[in-house]
Amino acid sequence: MAGNPRDKYCIVGVGETEYSRASGRTTRALGAEAIRNAMNDAGLTPDDVDGMLSYHGGDSTPSTSIQYDLGIRPNFYMDCSGGGSSTEALVGLAIGAIEAGMCDVVAIFRSMNGYSSVRIGGTGARASAPIGGLDLMKRPYGLISAVQQFSYTFTRHMAEYGVKSEDLAAIKVAHSNHASNNPKALMKHRVTVDDVMNSRWIIRPVAHLLDCCLETDNATCVIVTSAERAKDLKHKPIYIKGVQGRGTKPGGDFHYQHGPITRVAGHYVGPRVFDLAGVKHDDVDITGCYDAFTYTVLLQFEDYGWCEKGEGKDYVTSGIINLGGKRPNNLSGGHLCEGYTHGMNMVIENVRQLRGTVDDYCPGALEGDHTFDYAEGGCRQVQDAKISMNMGWGTPAVGSSLIMGNVLS
Amino acid sequence: MPNYTYRGITLSIPENDSEYKGYFEAAGEGRLVVKKCADCGLLRGEPGPACPWCTSINWEWQQVSGKGTIYSYQVVAHTVIPSFRDLTPFAIVLVELDEQRGEPTEFDGLRITGNLVDGDFNMEKEENVGIGKRVEAVFQPVEEGFMLPQWKLVDEPDQGFTWSHNVPES
Repeated sequence: MAGNPRDKYCIVGVGETEYSRASGRTTRALGAEAIRNAMNDAGLTPDDVDGMLSYHGGDSTPSTSIQYDLGIRPNFYMDCSGGGSSTEALVGLAIGAIEAGMCDVVAIFRSMNGYSSVRIGGTGARASAPIGGLDLMKRPYGLISAVQQFSYTFTRHMAEYGVKSEDLAAIKVAHSNHASNNPKALMKHRVTVDDVMNSRWIIRPVAHLLDCCLETDNATCVIVTSAERAKDLKHKPIYIKGVQGRGTKPGGDFHYQHGPITRVAGHYVGPRVFDLAGVKHDDVDITGCYDAFTYTVLLQFEDYGWCEKGEGKDYVTSGIINLGGKRPNNLSGGHLCEGYTHGMNMVIENVRQLRGTVDDYCPGALEGDHTFDYAEGGCRQVQDAKISMNMGWGTPAVGSSLIMGNVLS
Repeated sequence: MPNYTYRGITLSIPENDSEYKGYFEAAGEGRLVVKKCADCGLLRGEPGPACPWCTSINWEWQQVSGKGTIYSYQVVAHTVIPSFRDLTPFAIVLVELDEQRGEPTEFDGLRITGNLVDGDFNMEKEENVGIGKRVEAVFQPVEEGFMLPQWKLVDEPDQGFTWSHNVPES
């Protein structure tokens, strides 16, 4: 690999809007607020930010609109097409843009009215729009939504490895416990395995309603700059140790033509990102594993090597992924409970965790004064977390990963 | 081919659709076809413009037997498509054709999506869907000149890996 920028770049600012189901405003307004919040968080002014990156599925707003709104004049910007696993990849592209000398400080944002306008689940106008091309092989059979696009992989994995609905429900339970200590979370109440099992079926045998994430209106932003530039900013810099993606498995959109169908992109992304970051699994204190559905979490834990193939069900039910466990996952509640963002909120959460200033219910939370009492309505700060890993999911075939840390290697 | 309408959805298959037009033209005649590489001779499950094995852009349509085995599936209990709501629960199956199974590598196959239907093109009962079940292609009339490939169970022993889920009591 040519040039490894380990620890040379940082995330210095994070920000988001409210997570809601009725934003009552445009993706432009949401995006402007999230970027503004991230700039304020970092202690940066619009004059400092000279790079913008965004990702969208035709449902966002261009960087060139928001630049007016906030008085930013980019030396570099790109609005990329892409959904899940774009966050991590764009962090890498931001490093590339800075390394190439095109700019110095990059704001990466995603803005969507994912419930009130373009519903991420596909409901509404999208469901009956004219189709052509590769959709001809799927839509006439009723195959449209994200969970359906992934379900051939889910079902076959369930069949081959004996995964039970109860195993998947444990993921929702863990994330809901974390969300109960997150004032921002859209769904804050704790749920039980029975709650998940008793929610209505969406796709059998792989997804009840509560196995699915929350369609959400929101915008999110992270700001990337060099470690040198980060020195005089507001927060302890969070170093980017390794980033990889979007990487794919063979076949891309048609991955189910090649096998094993139960294997996901993490199989290919994982070894590269660990190598770039110079860390091992045991070095990682917290994870952010893309939870569009409970099953995406289980599959990624297996293929990123947190357990053997087929043992994901044991990993997610062992307590490891719970707050207070060995390596808690999706501490904000993730997509299943905090809100669906196409991956950004799990990166934001890990930045805050590594800073030690997670915005939980502890009175001194923002100053880093935490009780570490993880009872409902309390703390969600992990003690002394030093290394985090995010695992972004686009489809079974598409993924990205980001390893961050709060100390130099 | 012009536009067709199926369950309220407009299916657009323009003349320059070099991937899917020939597939649906053949289906309109009751034939299931896949693309065959004119150079290395391998078939491909997705009718793409080039050969995934040798990159050749020379290809021809090849009729296949239409027999296969269910490789994976999903049962739609809730659909976001309004015109499919009266069909739930219904099964969508990924069928692995008998041709070129496990070639050129052990995990490869020619895999095609469809609904699992009965002899009258009604959705098959959920308890009858399962991995390893044997099926054959049937062609559901939609409009003049347009038929939709679907899959129907055949009376043959299950093949290879078999599995089915527990159907909840309604």
